[in-house]
Amino acid sequence: MSTLVTLDPLVLAPALAPALGVVLVLVGDALGPRRAGGRWALPVAAVVLVVGAVLAARGSFGAEAEPLRSLCLPAPDGACLWTAGPRTSSLQAGILLAAAAALALLHDGRPRPRDGAVTAALLLAATTGGVAVAAARDLGTWVVALELATVPVVALVALRGTRGAAHAGLSLLVTSLVSFALLVLGVALWLTATGDATFSSATVATAWEDPQRRAVLVLAVTVLVSGVGFKLSLVPFHAWTPQAYTGADLGTALYLAAASKLSALAALLAPVAAFAGAGLDAPAVVTVLAVPAVASLLLGTVVALRQDDPLRLLAWSTIAQAGWVLVPLTALDGAGMRASVAYVLVYAAATAVAFAALGRIGAGAGARTLEGHRGLLRRDPLAAGPLALALLVLAGLPPGVVGLVVKILALGPPVAAGVWPVTAAGILAVVVGIAVYLRWFAVLLGGPPDRPAPGEQAASADGPGTARRSGRSTTAVLVLGTAVLALTSALPHLLLGGLG
Amino acid sequence: MVVSLLLALPLAVGLWLLTGGRALPAGLARRVTAGTAGLTLVLAGATVALGASVDRAWLPELGVRWSFGVDGISAPLVLLTGGIGLLVALHAWVELPAGGSPATFLGCLLVVEAGALATFTARDAVLFLVAFEVVLVPMWVLVGRFGDAHDLRARTDAAQRFVLYTAVGSTTLLVGILLLVTSAGTADLRRLADAAGAGLGSGTQLAVALLLVLGLAVKVPVFPLHTWLPPAHTTAPTAGSVLLAAVLLKMGTYGLVRLPVSVVPDGFARMAPALAVAGAVGIVWGGLVCLVERDLKRLVAYSSVAHMGFVVLALASGSDTGLQAALYANIAHGVISALLFVVVGGLKQRWGSVDLAVRRPALRETSPRLGFVLLLGLAAGLGLPGLAGFWGELLAVYSAWAPAGDRPRAVFVVCAVVAAVGAALAAAYALRVAGLVWAGDRPDPEAPRTPDTTGVERWVLGVLAAGVMVLGVLPMLLLSTTADAVARIGGAR
Repeated sequence: MSTLVTLDPLVLAPALAPALGVVLVLVGDALGPRRAGGRWALPVAAVVLVVGAVLAARGSFGAEAEPLRSLCLPAPDGACLWTAGPRTSSLQAGILLAAAAALALLHDGRPRPRDGAVTAALLLAATTGGVAVAAARDLGTWVVALELATVPVVALVALRGTRGAAHAGLSLLVTSLVSFALLVLGVALWLTATGDATFSSATVATAWEDPQRRAVLVLAVTVLVSGVGFKLSLVPFHAWTPQAYTGADLGTALYLAAASKLSALAALLAPVAAFAGAGLDAPAVVTVLAVPAVASLLLGTVVALRQDDPLRLLAWSTIAQAGWVLVPLTALDGAGMRASVAYVLVYAAATAVAFAALGRIGAGAGARTLEGHRGLLRRDPLAAGPLALALLVLAGLPPGVVGLVVKILALGPPVAAGVWPVTAAGILAVVVGIAVYLRWFAVLLGGPPDRPAPGEQAASADGPGTARRSGRSTTAVLVLGTAVLALTSALPHLLLGGLG
Repeated sequence: MVVSLLLALPLAVGLWLLTGGRALPAGLARRVTAGTAGLTLVLAGATVALGASVDRAWLPELGVRWSFGVDGISAPLVLLTGGIGLLVALHAWVELPAGGSPATFLGCLLVVEAGALATFTARDAVLFLVAFEVVLVPMWVLVGRFGDAHDLRARTDAAQRFVLYTAVGSTTLLVGILLLVTSAGTADLRRLADAAGAGLGSGTQLAVALLLVLGLAVKVPVFPLHTWLPPAHTTAPTAGSVLLAAVLLKMGTYGLVRLPVSVVPDGFARMAPALAVAGAVGIVWGGLVCLVERDLKRLVAYSSVAHMGFVVLALASGSDTGLQAALYANIAHGVISALLFVVVGGLKQRWGSVDLAVRRPALRETSPRLGFVLLLGLAAGLGLPGLAGFWGELLAVYSAWAPAGDRPRAVFVVCAVVAAVGAALAAAYALRVAGLVWAGDRPDPEAPRTPDTTGVERWVLGVLAAGVMVLGVLPMLLLSTTADAVARIGGAR
């Protein structure tokens, strides 16, 4: 081995693919600025993302003990800046596919000519950050990648140009800045406590022995969880979520709901894995994770119950589901981390399908209330069928078996570890959550409206199809997403097998 | 193979009717459903006769296997489910409720049947839970979509109450199962039953038993967790009511036998007195409500609460006789309540409502066949000797009178006395209904005659009536089937 760092491009491919994509899009835009209305960039970016996802999935079938490594330093003992086990690889594949789905929706949202390349470049850049943070094990890369995953999204939200989008972009920007400040502080505290610039179990275990360093470490974890909590939409750091979902383009909202959450969890797993690996009995850390989990579960589901705008409902559902993602982590063990990854992947797939269905229905045009969806299952089965399945998966009810399986998985670790408050909150959240999703489901299934909804009146006046801004790529996301949900419902092992 | 087919056939056809075949005309959908239900019944018979089973890896991460099979406890329930499934499919010729496409209605019936069959055959605790949840959404659709449309708000409320109560129950059950599986290290129900709680601390046993019983008690339903049942029954279409009473409630009692009673007997023993008291109170409470209830459908629902009280009391007694009584009363109630709901549903269809305060001509004069079957159902429900209800109630009261050695006898004797009083109440309300509806104590000469039962409805009622009589005359038919399995649970304890 030379004295330089090792570099394996194939291992780095999940992050290199979107990074190269950014270059490709920007160069292409420089060469032919007005070519094809600037819309060529989106398909190119989508292809790049799918290739990256395939390359990432390659790592999903390895063993957790033998991760793919690259960027390894020669000294002192071969620490690698890029470590991707099967869990990380699956998350990366999920991030890349979610980003591709977001692109598909943005494509059908018909960006203005100049925006095509900009949108694609921003989205690819954010995805690069999200993928990189999943594999980062050192503090520096971790913070930088996490920021790279966040900042372009602010621009994406604001890019829509409406007043609402500007407000949403502003609130997201402020949130991101606070989050960045917290993350930097947290990383600094971590470094102070452990004296180590990586998230490693050994140094955590040593630091835990010393009461004073332990206090600093707990503080570091608290601050880090708060910083990541902004991105994961955990209560009390959730306030930007409904605003951003309703203000941004549907595709951007999908990116925020799916890809951003995946990368946020991937980031959170790094410090949690350090604790889990050390096998510590750390009630303080459990509390730091459990408090936002319980708060998100309860507040998210209860507020979602009162929402009448599908996008706002999805936003609050995201907040509740973020709580679910945290539930298994409170056990601080390997099973909990796997359950958490399984949960977030299923959530992301279901949410992507729900957003794609909204895209097909045309959430932007007219019917922005649940009542506008009445009887949709009869009017537009191709949109309502997948949406219904996605809602059942999110609620955890068969035939969305995979949703139930990940809920079982998620509740297992805290039950085994005896974290009863979280379990109790989980029970409540399941029940209220079922009420939330079935409320929407009932409307989809419902009979014809007593009086036509405003959006529908316009639709019937213009003839069928005009109210829908459906496109082929949205439909492709719908069909593929539904296939994934249906297949994993029949054979949940397909999903869980890729998590080590 | 046979078991897989038994589960896959109704599920696949049901899901197809719900998605691809939604636009199927009523006639074709009915024939497809009846054919599927008939084949399912044949497959259920074959499964029981061959003792077929399947065991594959499904979720190795959770240690959950795709393991289905039948034994003495589940065999009668599988046959009951198959039979009731066919009857409700045939009943679609009598009543096809409005509210959506016929294929959706029939598809929901088939999915409920598949879920119930999976619940009764699952040999893995986690799989049991998944199967338990399968029935939730289709049943919710049946109540909320195809239910009585007179009062839409009440319909939505009933459907929501059903789902949310059941969800609370099944999530509590889930936590109990997870605690059990993580502390015992296996999810295989047979291995768990063989161990019978060995290796679990007494605190863990109690916690597991508490969670499992609480979760399942909602489904049974045990007083005071029964308040979802009457509205659901009142609202549901006839076929839905029949499935709910004859099949879904049985999932709760079956779960009690399979999980807490077999798996954590010591923990269950410690909370048995409380359960027995809840059962006895349920018997009396149900009986008292039935004495004053005006809506006939709701009355039958409350009588279900009372009958399930007998089952729970027998289970709590802890003796082999008690277990036998519970399993017997379970099946008997399935047949009797199915019969009563078909009759009452038919009356509701004819009269528009089944308010007992409305004066109507005597059923025995206008429609003697319907009247006879109603009388038979009521007689069986009050526990008349020679009919299905008798043996279950008798054995239940007996087993409470002489409970297992580790149970506090005084509590159980009091419960037995209370249960006997409850049985007397059953006689009182059965006679009240018979007087009002059958004999026509307050006839209204102006009212139109009630058309008697004909065609398919007659056959459905005939089969159920025959079942009630056969179970009453030949109880050994059923008791001998369950005897071995009961002895095994008793032996493991």
